[in-house]
Amino acid sequence: MKRRLMDILACPICKSHPLELIVFTEKDEIDEGVLLCGRCGRWYPIIETIPRMLPDDLRDATEDRGFLEKWKPHLPEGVLKGGKPFSLE
Amino acid sequence: MREDSVRKAVRKSYGSIAKGKQSGCCSSSCCNTITPEEVSKKIGYSDEDVNSIPEGANLGLGCGNPVALASLKEGEVVLDLGSGAGFDSFLAARRVGPKGRVIGVDMTPEMLERARKNAKKGGFENVEFRLGEIENLPVADNSIDVVISNCVINLSPEKGRVFREAYRVLRPGGRIMVSDIVLLAPLPAFLKSTASLVACVGGAALKKEYLKAMEGAGFACIRELEESVYSIDSLIDLPEVKEAIGAGKVSIDQAKGYAKNVVSMKVMAIKQPSD
Repeated sequence: MKRRLMDILACPICKSHPLELIVFTEKDEIDEGVLLCGRCGRWYPIIETIPRMLPDDLRDATEDRGFLEKWKPHLPEGVLKGGKPFSLE
Repeated sequence: MREDSVRKAVRKSYGSIAKGKQSGCCSSSCCNTITPEEVSKKIGYSDEDVNSIPEGANLGLGCGNPVALASLKEGEVVLDLGSGAGFDSFLAARRVGPKGRVIGVDMTPEMLERARKNAKKGGFENVEFRLGEIENLPVADNSIDVVISNCVINLSPEKGRVFREAYRVLRPGGRIMVSDIVLLAPLPAFLKSTASLVACVGGAALKKEYLKAMEGAGFACIRELEESVYSIDSLIDLPEVKEAIGAGKVSIDQAKGYAKNVVSMKVMAIKQPSD
């Protein structure tokens, strides 16, 4: 994902814009990171450059929790403890 | 089928198509001997279009949206609903140039994986793909100049919602240009199975309901640009049609009659500037 696309990205559920971006790895574009919605508390992973912005029922809880585990040290506590739709609590 | 199972069936089937295990709508399944490139030329893309795109981006799945692509201007921001392996997104990217950009949304991870690889292969700097659902667009209000979609909305069990979302993200004065399968008359119940759904027939809405859904979302100046009949062979080749003919429930002539009511339509509309 390229940073300049942040001005178009919104939360698919509550439509809040802009979203907060945390970058974990970046080469010529953002490879892994997370997008946070300040309004509804949802988080969306960026995996292999693709932001995964699916509604809750199309998300995979196991995969999502795996992602949170993987990037635990880089994620805000709010996401780890109370992130929607999945957290590590 | 219920809405939820429709979505799951579509996601699963198009995931297999992306991996090359299955064919989809208007694709080579209909006409086993022709390639995706040939399908695309048949539905109105130029040789130049087809040859300019990285190999593997064109799965031959659309019903064709060359009119929409031709209308794009340099610098425009385009959203492609159901971008698949990226064929239309890449063509759009070429038209809008480096100052424009194209965002492709698709709910099938396997498709996006192909699209991402194709973007890299083709060196496209102005295309972005994201995993998302066209009923819940991950896109900000009033941020898009043109929404395009090629043979995808028929797959959605919530077409009204798709159009409301498209309307929301378009800037005032922006336009939607869609190519899709619609019905002129209702199809018999046996054509509502998963296979027909994936072939873009089972989920297709009546044309007047489709246009009404666009109007209901707020769109103005709804204009039909082109209409062509869906391939009769494609319809007769569907497993449930073959079965019905085999069992003597339906005659070949009856099946041909159904096909006449399945059309590929190109339609455009705008979001009023005063809105």
